Amino acid sequence: MKLTRFLLNKLAGMIAVLLLVSLATFLIFYILPANPARTECGRLCTPNELRDVRAFMGLAQPVWHQYLNFLTAIFAGRTYGSGAGAIVCPAPCLGYSFQQNRTVLSLIGQTLPVTASIAVGAAVLWLVTGTAAGVVSALRHGKATDRVVMTTAIVGVSAPSYLVGLLAILLFGFKLNILPVSGYVSLLQSPGQWAFHLILPWCTLAFISAAIYGRLTRSQMLDALGEDYVRTARAKGLLERRVVVRHALRNVMIPIVTMFGLDVGALLGGAVITEKVYSMYGLGALLIGAVQTTDLSTISGVTLLAAVFVLVANFLVDLTYKLLDPRV
Amino acid sequence: MPPKILSGPAVPADVPVAAVARRSGAFARLLADRWGLAGAAVAAGFVLLALFAPSLSGISGNNPYTYHLSALTSSGLPKGALGGVSTAHWLGVEPQTGRDLFAIVAYGARISLLVGVGATLLATVIGTVLGVLAGYRGGLVDTLLSRFTDLTIAFPQLIFMIALGALVPASFPKQFFMVAVIGAFGWPSVARVVRGQTMALRNRSFVVAAQAVGARPLHILRTEILPNLAATITVIATMSIPGAIGTEAALSFLGIGVPPPTPSWGREISSAIAWVSVDPWYLAAPGIALFLVTLALNAFGDGLRDAFDPRMSGRLR
Amino acid sequence: MRKHIVLSGSAAVALTAVLAACGGANNASGPGTPTTAPASKGGTLTILDSETTLTLDPAQSWSLAITSSGLLWRRLTTWKVGPTGAPEVVPDLATSDGTPSAGGRVWTYHLKSGIYFSDGQPITSYDVKYGIERTYAPALSGGLNYQKPLIAGTAGYTGPFSGRQLSSIVTPNSKTIIFHLNKPYGDWPWVVSTTSMAPVPEGKAPAAAFNNHPITSGPYAVQSYTPGTSAILVRNKYWNAATDPNRSGGPSKIIWELNQDPTVEAQTLIADGPNAQDAFGADFVPPAQLAQVENDPSAKARLVTSPASPLEYVAVNMQSPKLKNLKVREALEYAVNRQAVVVASGGPIAADPATTLITPGIAGREPYNLYPAAGSSGDPAKAKSLLAQAGVHSLTLTLATPNDPISTAISEAVQQAYSAAGIKVSIKSLSENAFSALVTGNSASGYDLALSSWQPDFPSAMDNIEPLFASAMIGNGNYNISRLSDPTVDALINRAEGTINEAAAGKIWAQADKAIVADAAVVPLVYNRNSFLRGSDVENFYIGEFPAYPVYTAVSLKQ
Repeated sequence: MKLTRFLLNKLAGMIAVLLLVSLATFLIFYILPANPARTECGRLCTPNELRDVRAFMGLAQPVWHQYLNFLTAIFAGRTYGSGAGAIVCPAPCLGYSFQQNRTVLSLIGQTLPVTASIAVGAAVLWLVTGTAAGVVSALRHGKATDRVVMTTAIVGVSAPSYLVGLLAILLFGFKLNILPVSGYVSLLQSPGQWAFHLILPWCTLAFISAAIYGRLTRSQMLDALGEDYVRTARAKGLLERRVVVRHALRNVMIPIVTMFGLDVGALLGGAVITEKVYSMYGLGALLIGAVQTTDLSTISGVTLLAAVFVLVANFLVDLTYKLLDPRV
Repeated sequence: MPPKILSGPAVPADVPVAAVARRSGAFARLLADRWGLAGAAVAAGFVLLALFAPSLSGISGNNPYTYHLSALTSSGLPKGALGGVSTAHWLGVEPQTGRDLFAIVAYGARISLLVGVGATLLATVIGTVLGVLAGYRGGLVDTLLSRFTDLTIAFPQLIFMIALGALVPASFPKQFFMVAVIGAFGWPSVARVVRGQTMALRNRSFVVAAQAVGARPLHILRTEILPNLAATITVIATMSIPGAIGTEAALSFLGIGVPPPTPSWGREISSAIAWVSVDPWYLAAPGIALFLVTLALNAFGDGLRDAFDPRMSGRLR
Repeated sequence: MRKHIVLSGSAAVALTAVLAACGGANNASGPGTPTTAPASKGGTLTILDSETTLTLDPAQSWSLAITSSGLLWRRLTTWKVGPTGAPEVVPDLATSDGTPSAGGRVWTYHLKSGIYFSDGQPITSYDVKYGIERTYAPALSGGLNYQKPLIAGTAGYTGPFSGRQLSSIVTPNSKTIIFHLNKPYGDWPWVVSTTSMAPVPEGKAPAAAFNNHPITSGPYAVQSYTPGTSAILVRNKYWNAATDPNRSGGPSKIIWELNQDPTVEAQTLIADGPNAQDAFGADFVPPAQLAQVENDPSAKARLVTSPASPLEYVAVNMQSPKLKNLKVREALEYAVNRQAVVVASGGPIAADPATTLITPGIAGREPYNLYPAAGSSGDPAKAKSLLAQAGVHSLTLTLATPNDPISTAISEAVQQAYSAAGIKVSIKSLSENAFSALVTGNSASGYDLALSSWQPDFPSAMDNIEPLFASAMIGNGNYNISRLSDPTVDALINRAEGTINEAAAGKIWAQADKAIVADAAVVPLVYNRNSFLRGSDVENFYIGEFPAYPVYTAVSLKQ
């Protein structure tokens, strides 16, 4: 029962936060000076035509009404205009992008796999490399391996990701000509090409994050190795490897996995810089484009989705904590 | 954390949460740490560069705004080797404008350091206040803070920045706006650590004793808790500065930082990348500067953390 | 139209051209001599584009007649653009350019036979009418709307979807269409060639779905379109080449790669690797890559540069309280350093200093320079003295500019030049949409100067002047961003528009040109030369006298 209450509590909190985030996004863009109806109407747009376009796009109503339309559309769908010229957005309708002539849901459907491919691939890579490097470094602390790994790590942490990415493109893409410089190939279309085009983005993202995780793992590992229970295990005569893996590492993984969950959750909302550098049309690129063209529907829909990812990730991490450590 | 770029000052979670930082001997440990000292020295160097940017650029008679079209070829490339390095232009000139790169780097340091340090200060203050409150009070206050933290991290920081940036009048200096926004989004990581530390401290004997004697909460916070948090807060703050600097540079790279003609490393890097095949020196100047400052502050932060953490003491780096 | 918009209705970021042409200012062939060979058929052409969306609905498209629109849509008339010589309007679906009557108020067209849509249906005059009526629907607004205010009796008309039709477009039979206009209009054949006038199968395309699955009339049909990624065009098997001498229909398939980074795109084409040989770039080559091409003979041979034509200018906000005094505005004309703007655009390869509004290559242009300043570097001293004469001792102005790299560089050059004359300029850098909203909106506050560029949508002096300086074009999304409201200028514009004789009209336009610059409502900066790169297997890739873009409809591949 306590678990159920905990779950319900968390769910209620999440919904509250989502509503606040979506409302804030709506308001921010409502008060911006840009006029999406005017952009849509184009040139030689008479005041009458502008009025018609505004009404058609649903922008003529007060902001609270528009927000309500947005919310109800998520459950019941929405129709713009009427008759043969109407545009129908079936439920769940996260909005309709007049700029791109598509429902926001279909745009998300197209861009989410791109972002997910980048995020998940890089995440797995950095988790494995980072923690492995951190463990090795901790075990060999003070020696040459440790210094080399930690120096690489501090360099990785200090380098701006966009610079690393762009230089990687120049080196591997143009100078050495061994990797493609841009573009995303769908997994369904060709798994080989999909992975091939993702190698550079994965490595760029992973290099920097692995550095962070490496440093974190190393310091947590060093802490753990100095703990009493490790000393006890050693005193009991257990094999070093067993001590490391079963005792120290398991405790170290908790904060690591926490951070990992939160990082992946946030990254799924759109790896904006990576997508820009590698010309991949993911959620981040979609969002930036929508902001520049003041496409309120797309902005609201994608922001909501990104917030959902972050909140769900937070929730899963909290849940894992609750399940693993009853003291919390 | 860099992959998301926009999470404000990234506080590495490897700052010790459980132990109370021991101040005694910390200074000695810090002085013994070569890398930390080197980092501090380089960072100090950049601070001086930023502070004295006008006079330093003035030595060669330059500023970051004046065009020197005579230093360029007809296609806009700098004349001469190494991107136009000469006695008149120590680091060469910018393509297409002929502006002095040394001046640009020096003045750019001002923006990076101002926003980096300013945002971190703001985030630290907010995070400390909220973290202490939540950690000391617990209960409802803690839950509310938890919700508020959720809201802050789920909030679309990037869009908020772009949108607000468009609303802010041109007369209001963009750098203060950036300090406010980056700082306002950076407090959760500070708060989390401070909260944890406060909760641990709350149960310590000297605090319990003070409460038993009837001391007011504010008094306890001021005399018992905050002083013990001071070291942790210092370390967190120092380690967050590079992240804030990186965020400012990333936002400038995306085109939403300080507007031209105010020099900014991020914006320079963004233009310089296109020229790398014909004029790599253009990228080298701001790129290396940004990297060095970040590296130096990271090294110094590491040194500071190691100096304060008793369990790290005695370990070789 | 804004010079950078080639394909889609959504706002694009301007990239100025950056290539140097050796040879005369208006020489269409530069270092890369276009290969004009007979068009061979076959192969897959790739077009690399930085746009993330393509507007495939003609009602909403801003495409030029010879770029994406030319590949997909036929209209009553189209443009004939050769490597040399002035562009002409020629019949496309119709048998002639149009027969005017009633002094130019009524225009009649007869359709050819043997013309079909990509779904096999014949193209009739009812389809042409339906396509035009669709442009009045609110759901489909946003295209090149030249025809909308010109066709008579359209007040309150909201499109054909409710069943209402326009009585001013008469279709007595399936092969004849007659337009009744509001006033005599000499340039109607050019208006008819714009994309909005493309036929759409009657009754078949109510609204937005058409953009994703259009039915085309040109040499190509749309197989698929994925925003942000690509569009694939395949041969329209119902396109009859015999009825269409203006398009080559060379490649069998065209892959339109979207969302490319312009720098990476240019570098890919320069490198000319196996993926790039059958490709060309839809974007202007950026300044850095132009410098790169200078040192690369093979790349230089594959570069084509337009004659200097689209105009880059600073619009002076005539309604700004700081700029009411003519002497202050004249100071702006004298202080500007066109040389610095040329360098910011990429050098002499990319731009020529400009002093007139009617751009080179347009009939009726008369070159003049009302504000001579030594060596086009500007005369800050004269500007200072003019300000002193006006009694202005300190002046701070806001310059609004789009935030793409070249506009930013040019705005900084302008700012720097004005500071030498004691005028402090603060730059307001905005995204494309925010910039449009500000300068084309109904409020005159928020900017004193605005940096913009303009290429006419069709080669007529009318399009250099009227959309930018007619008082009816202030606000409401229209481009009179100088907010000039001058009855003399308006009168000249009206007279010129109504004059059917081209030469006579030209003289009146030149008068208007001079009057506007004399009033210092605008500071012409440079005429841009746009440069584009092609892969080594692409043939018939050239730029004519107008527009400053390659003729996509002529491109073919080496077999």
